[in-house]
This record gives sequence, structure tokens and C-alpha cells, in this order.
Amino acid sequence: MATANTVSNEQATATATRADLLVFVAPMPPEQLESIFGNLAAEFRGEELLVATANDPTGTSHPEIRVVPVQATNAVWPVAAVDFVNAVHAAKENEAKAVLVLGPGADSLNPSALRGLVNSVLESKSDLAVPHYSLPPNAGLVNSAIIYPLTRALFASRVRFPLSIDMALSFRMAEKLGNTAQKFVNQNQPDAIVWPVSEAMVAGLSIDEVDVGTRELPQPAEPNINAILSLVTGSLFADIEAKAAFWQRPRRLLPEHRAFSALPSVEGAVDIAPMVEAFRLAFTNLQEIWGLVLAPNSLLGLKRLSVVDPAAFRMPETLWARVVFDFLVAYRLRTINRGHLMGALIPLYLAWVAGHLNVLGSGTDAEVHVEAVAAAFESEKQYIVSRWRWPDRFNS
Amino acid sequence: MGRLIGMMLQTVQNYNPPPPITNNSVSLWTHISDALQQSVYRVLSLFIAVLPGILAVFVALTLFTLIGMGLSLLLRRVLAFVKFDERLNRGNPEWTPSSSPTMLIARGAFWGCVLLGLVIGISAFDASYSTGTPLPISLLPYLTKMVGAILVMIAGTVIARFLARSVLIGAVNAQLQYARFLSLGVKWLVLVLTAAMVLDHLEVGGKIVELAFGILFGGIVLTLALAVGLGSRDLVSRSLEGRAEPKPERVPPPEVVPKPVEPIRHETIRHF
Repeated sequence: MATANTVSNEQATATATRADLLVFVAPMPPEQLESIFGNLAAEFRGEELLVATANDPTGTSHPEIRVVPVQATNAVWPVAAVDFVNAVHAAKENEAKAVLVLGPGADSLNPSALRGLVNSVLESKSDLAVPHYSLPPNAGLVNSAIIYPLTRALFASRVRFPLSIDMALSFRMAEKLGNTAQKFVNQNQPDAIVWPVSEAMVAGLSIDEVDVGTRELPQPAEPNINAILSLVTGSLFADIEAKAAFWQRPRRLLPEHRAFSALPSVEGAVDIAPMVEAFRLAFTNLQEIWGLVLAPNSLLGLKRLSVVDPAAFRMPETLWARVVFDFLVAYRLRTINRGHLMGALIPLYLAWVAGHLNVLGSGTDAEVHVEAVAAAFESEKQYIVSRWRWPDRFNS
Repeated sequence: MGRLIGMMLQTVQNYNPPPPITNNSVSLWTHISDALQQSVYRVLSLFIAVLPGILAVFVALTLFTLIGMGLSLLLRRVLAFVKFDERLNRGNPEWTPSSSPTMLIARGAFWGCVLLGLVIGISAFDASYSTGTPLPISLLPYLTKMVGAILVMIAGTVIARFLARSVLIGAVNAQLQYARFLSLGVKWLVLVLTAAMVLDHLEVGGKIVELAFGILFGGIVLTLALAVGLGSRDLVSRSLEGRAEPKPERVPPPEVVPKPVEPIRHETIRHF
């Protein structure tokens, strides 16, 4: 059986030592690593700290930070399953009480943000601390359109960035994630995406969200939206499918009791005409495929949307929620090839983006619109539960 | 001339009038009856010769279907008893097919048995036909080839649909206006290829099929090439112009102070 316990026994013996906190730093350029070491040295001075990284630490100006090497991986974005396995293995070897995972570009995080994440786990006794980034309204759109609303509606979690690339984990949460990630590695999928929030919700572990302010989010190595949307959405759908027994039960969303930093404002305008045109072209050509996936009401809604002027273009929140749920059901039923399914979702996603940008252009706050979308997903949860259980009932 | 007339007279003298039709009808019906009897005899002989083969097909198919049903039932019971699904899900939580692993294995065993029965039956039929009858009938060889042809046709249709959808979705996402046309072209390319392969497998048509296939395939490719080429005409011409005539660098006249141009602000959309 393949394993990703990539730190050799000799290395582990040589470096095994107790450390309250193990910081796993994803592969990144040397200058970013140096900056992160500086932040860690400043914020965790005098504390037992161990860094596990595949980067070469020689040459950094912080020799006081102890480093254990882990195997280099090809994963660039997001944090891959094999990275979780390596981090958890190093944490076990060194009897760490908590693990701080820092993704690529974490040097742009404020040092106090690192402290906030760690404190949430070590002092507030959360099992999973995820950052709340302050991104521009035009960034993280896949998260706003699909990942956040779906996670909130199905797993009853208010975490705004379920696919965050930085996080702090308690030891038991790290073990849980490590086990999940190990299964992916065993299936020869070392670069698979692991979804910490849904894992924590299913395991009944506590989650905390920490305001970390702005951060430079790394962009995927493959800039093609088609490939990346398929990768992320496909992984999320597969995760939802695997946890169907959990989310079909009704759950109450905990009330929001914290305020986060205001988002940076938008400057300039985006030309949404190409996105609207892409949607119209798809509506003309993909009727046959959408007809296999979408319920008749959703198709009718798209038909109405296809004749709307670009200036007034806006996808209704309920329609968008039903469209995503229909695609989720089709993913489960394998109504069409899953690659085709994800490809057919792209024009619809672009239509949502165009509508979202129009809403922003009208002066509405981006978070208000995203929250409205998430609320629509919540209110339509009964629809997905019904379709999941009786898919054929909605085909007439 | 005199010789010719002499020959004609001799012919007329030697001419025997045909017997009345009432006298000859007996022999005509006898011939027809004989021909029919021989034909029926031949067909019945052939039928009797291939009957064991046909029966062998049905017996083999029925027998192996029953075996498959029994095996499927047995597998389902055994796998349920050893909790196979739960064990597999523990090792692989990302099981995605809509049916359980036990059901898939049971169905696989059933259809494997059916397929085995079909193959054995057809082999038996083939053997009985080739050894049991001396009378060739041109349709019979197709019965054994028909299975292969049907499989080729099914595979071709599935591949055509898959490729057509792939091209359609890819072209739509690339915002090509002729996406549907491209998709249809690819679909018919594969279907024409499949049809030619099926006919070739059945040995129908011979050269005509090859010729027709070549013409159709070439025609579709040419049509697609023209469509794509004409559709991308502007793009190609712009590209060629850009390469052939590099733009001269503009140097503002010294007396004119260039005004600072206000850049058009297009906030970049970041999907992630």
C-alpha cells in the first residue's frame, strides 16, 4: 500500500522533539519563506515552535527556528492531501499540540493573524480555526457563488472561506484530516482537495473563524477557469456526496455573533458583456445537455434570463441555488459524464458572476449579495434533499 | 436468293405445331411441383441441419442466464453476509457510483454469464452450420458476424455522442459561434466511420462502401475545415497582418507634448 509518510525514520529520529506548535509551511519561493520565518520569530518568540516544510531552510536569517524536512510535492494550490499527511505525520512525531498550516503566499498575512489562529486552538480550545480574509469584491468569486453557499446550506457552517489555505488545527482535528488525506493518497490522489470544514462538522468538532485581514491569495497554476472550476466544484460535489447521510438531516445554523473587517472597495468597472454573451451562446447550444440536468422550472428561468439586457442582467438567487443543486444531483446520478457536467456549469457560473458584478455596480455591498445568495441556498435546502432522495419526481 | 427461299420452304415443311396447352399443363405443373419440392427439401434440409445449432444458442443462452441469476443471487447473499459494502466504504469513502459495490459485482456476474452463454451458443451454431450442411445460404454467415457488427455500432454511437458533447461544451466555453456545427460535424464523422466499419465487417457493399466512406468522410472534414477557416478569417488575417507588417514605433514630434492617457480601469476578476 502506498503511503505518504514521507519523512524518513532516520530524519524523524534525528529531529524528533517536543513542540507545542508545529507550523507546516507549503512549498513557496525562498523570499516568502524568509518573510514567514520573520513573522513566526517575532510572534512566537521564546515558544516551542517547530516548522515542517519542503523548502530549503538554509540561508534564512532565523537559525533559532527548528525545521524538520518533509517531502516536496507538486501541489501549488490549494493545500493538497499529501501536505496534510506530511503535516500530521510531523506533528505526531514531535508530539505537537496544535498544527498551523500556512499555504503559499502566507507571507502576506499579518503576524498577529498567525497568533490569532494559534490562540483560537490552543487557548480557546477550538478544533479548527480558519481565517476570514478581507478580499476585494471581485476576488474569490467561485467561493462566493458556490463553495460558501453550499457549505453553509448543507453543513450549517458560517465559515466564509471553506477552502482556506491557512488554518490552525487541534491535534485531534489534525488526526482526523490526516486520516482523510491518507485515504486520498492511498488511492493515488495525492493532490486531492481536502475540505476541513465539512470534516469538522461531520466529526462534531468545533470551528472558529479568525479575522486575518487582507491576504494575497495565490492563484491556481492553471489559469483556465474551465479546468479549475471543474476541479474545485467536482471535489466539493464529491465531498457532499460522500457526506450525504450527514447533511440530509435538518440542522440549525448558529447565529452570527462576530463582525469582520470591511472589504476593500472596488475601483473601476468590469465589462460584463462577454460573460452575458457567453451565457447566451451556451443557452442556444447547450439546451440538450442542460435539459438532462436541470429541472423544467430552472430551464424556464434561464430562458427568461437569456433575453435580459446586460445592463439589467442579474441571476435570481433562488434560480442560481436550484441550478447548483440540480448539477449536484446530476453529479451524483452520473446523468452525463462528470467532465461534461462541470463544463456545462461554467457558462451558468459566468452568468452569476455577471449578475453579481451588476449588483455591485448598483451600489450594493458585495457581502450583502453573497449573504442573500447563501440565504437562498438555505431556503432551498428542502429542494436538494427531495431531489437527492427522489430524483425522478422533478423531471416532469 | 433461290437458296434462301429453298431454306424457308424446308423450315415450313419441318415445322411441328406445339401440342395443345391442355396436354402440356400436366408436365408444366410437374416441373413447378418438382422445383418447389426440391426447394422445400433444400430449405428443410438446411433447417434440419442448422436446427441443432439454433437450439444450442437458445439452450446455452437460457442455461447461462439461469446460472447467472443463481450466481448473482448467491454473490449478493454472500457479500451482504460478509458486509462487503461497509468494509469497502471504510477503505474508500469516496465511492461514487450510484449503485452499491455488491450490486455492481452481482450485475457484472449476471451479465458475464449471459455473454458467455451467447458466445458459446454462437460458437455451437457456427460449428453446426459449417459442418452440418453442404448448402450455402448467403445470409447465414451474417448471423455470427451480426453480433460483432452490433457491438461496433453500439460502441461507435456511444463514442460519437461522447465526442460530440465534448466538442460542443469545449467550443461553447471557448465562445465559438459555430460550436453546434462543429459538434455535429464530429458526431457525423464518427457515425460515418462506424457505419463503414459495420458494413465492412458484414462484407456488404465491398468497394462501394469504401468509396462512399472516403467521399463522405472527406466531405465532412472539408466542410468543417471551411467552416472553421471562414469563421476564424478575421482572426487569421489579423494574425498574418501583425506578422507581416510590424508596426513602426511611434515617435511623438518634439514640439508636441503628449498628454497623459487615462488608462481604462478594468478591475481583474479573480475567480479564486
